[in-house]
Amino acid sequence: MGKTMIEKIIRRAAGREVKVGERVWCDIDLSTARDFGGANCVLQFEEVTDKKGKVWNPDKVAFTFDLQAPSHSEKVSNNQKIIREFAKKQGIKKVFDVDWGIGQHVLLENGLVKPGDVILGTDSHMNLLGGVGAFATGVGNTDIVASWFEGTNWFRVPETMKVTVTGKFKKGVCMRDLLTHIVGDLGAAGMFFLATEFYGETIENSSLAERITLCSMVTEMSGKVGLIMPNGEVLDWLVGRAGDEVKERVKTLAADADAVYVKELEYNVDDLEPMTSCPDAPDNVKKVREVAGEHVDQVHIGSCSNGRFEDITAAFEVLKAGGFKVAPGMRAIITPATREVMLQCAKAGYIQKFLEAGVIFTNPTCALCTAEHYGALPSGDVGMSTTNRNFIGKVGKGSHTYLASPMTAMATAVRGKITDPRDILG
Amino acid sequence: MEKKILRGRAWVFGDDVDTDLIYHNKYLAETDPKKMPQYSFEYYPGKEHFAKEVKEGDFIVAGTNFGCGSSREHAVYCLKYAGIPVVLAESFSRIYYRNAINNGYPVLFVNGLSQAIKDGKIKDGDELEVDLEKGEIKDLTNGNSFHGDAVADLEMDIMKAGGLIEYLKEKAAGK
Repeated sequence: MGKTMIEKIIRRAAGREVKVGERVWCDIDLSTARDFGGANCVLQFEEVTDKKGKVWNPDKVAFTFDLQAPSHSEKVSNNQKIIREFAKKQGIKKVFDVDWGIGQHVLLENGLVKPGDVILGTDSHMNLLGGVGAFATGVGNTDIVASWFEGTNWFRVPETMKVTVTGKFKKGVCMRDLLTHIVGDLGAAGMFFLATEFYGETIENSSLAERITLCSMVTEMSGKVGLIMPNGEVLDWLVGRAGDEVKERVKTLAADADAVYVKELEYNVDDLEPMTSCPDAPDNVKKVREVAGEHVDQVHIGSCSNGRFEDITAAFEVLKAGGFKVAPGMRAIITPATREVMLQCAKAGYIQKFLEAGVIFTNPTCALCTAEHYGALPSGDVGMSTTNRNFIGKVGKGSHTYLASPMTAMATAVRGKITDPRDILG
Repeated sequence: MEKKILRGRAWVFGDDVDTDLIYHNKYLAETDPKKMPQYSFEYYPGKEHFAKEVKEGDFIVAGTNFGCGSSREHAVYCLKYAGIPVVLAESFSRIYYRNAINNGYPVLFVNGLSQAIKDGKIKDGDELEVDLEKGEIKDLTNGNSFHGDAVADLEMDIMKAGGLIEYLKEKAAGK
């Protein structure tokens, strides 16, 4: 009987054969924490080791500062300082401070992620690294602290679902729309405790940014991780960042042809339309044209789900087609995922155009995933965002948010009301 | 897990209760677990009064996928340190489940709870009796009873140790 990717990944990390449903102890390749949760980890580790503890391997611990970067509150500033001082004391060199951007993306760009790696982080969207075949998972501070003892932690070997995607997106439609469609189709618990492997021509031909979008939203269906083994340009890119070992991992960790899946689903994107998650849940999904014309006060493009150069390029093209002007009174915010992405935007000449059009273009950070960041919404306001959650009041008590693709978000910013991007792109 | 039979009032919630509704992102910078209960359910429509009115020994009763969303352990601490002895739900999201077990905090998967909540068979303020060892839940107010699933061996061992850190310390000490 063949094995799925996650079974092979956990077998490698556990150093023995494993069965679905079994609890196993795995070696951790990278244990990370952010400015959110990071100080909690540090304080807990110091408490339970009487300040005498040493992390098992300083080279396998990393900190990323992204939830509030740069910090704008004394409390978070102090939390960030707690992390910096701990890293110094422990000899942890991989500290990506407030100037870097969103953690998973920064780790990826810095060659710290390979297919098959087991990676922990205090971010429920760590699993977007499954877009390059890594088993990354969001955990709480206790899991991080426990992993710092001996570099291990426990996992249940999950069942695997297989999703095959065929077809080509029409103009104005993208991977985010497919994801929104799948979340609506399967619901908030549609991948409950499962690993999900993505296949098909649409996936094989997709960019790294698209794979990240796809895998990030597995969390919104309560999945453990979405996995895609790198191929083509994504493989070349990853080898360039993380080294030749990537190629070997891809060969040894790909699922067997006779692997067993608990569920197999197929989607075709040829006739897919722009989709949106309506207030107040990611799985409250409609076609954009069904809610077109609804008033929106603020648009935000960015986040770990849709903050890469390709996402911002897609938004730029819509803005260009719309005459390089956002609607009067509209607050439009673009937040690149990382400094590298921001530099790409600068080199492409986007930033000047965005600013001239009335867009607020910010430094790389998580931005509107919390109400404790710029762009928090006042009660009664309606936002549209490319982030991944829109539970009631998430970015401000009494506010509501639509989730959509960068193209739909920019079309909405241009017209000042929910707009199908095809109306602007033609 | 010292007391076997527990009694308390029910606070009833629906399906897919997200971590932002349990413990809002506005308070993520808090690092002292004991200060977290004051923010519990502040953003949950209709349950904004929870933190003020909850009493030690009360139970959380919820439908499927409780604790979906963020990895924040705050969402476990804010209930644990409010004196909620156990969270009863039809199912828990995986990160929430880990965070609870890793803190030695009992969470029980209870069959049929989601539908029972929808049908009004278990309501806010009902008096419950919970036998943690047997996984039996009785609603003393209306006479309905429910049954929880057995906890897997490893999770039970971690729970018995008092949490993952304590479990690892015991393991390192060769106990």
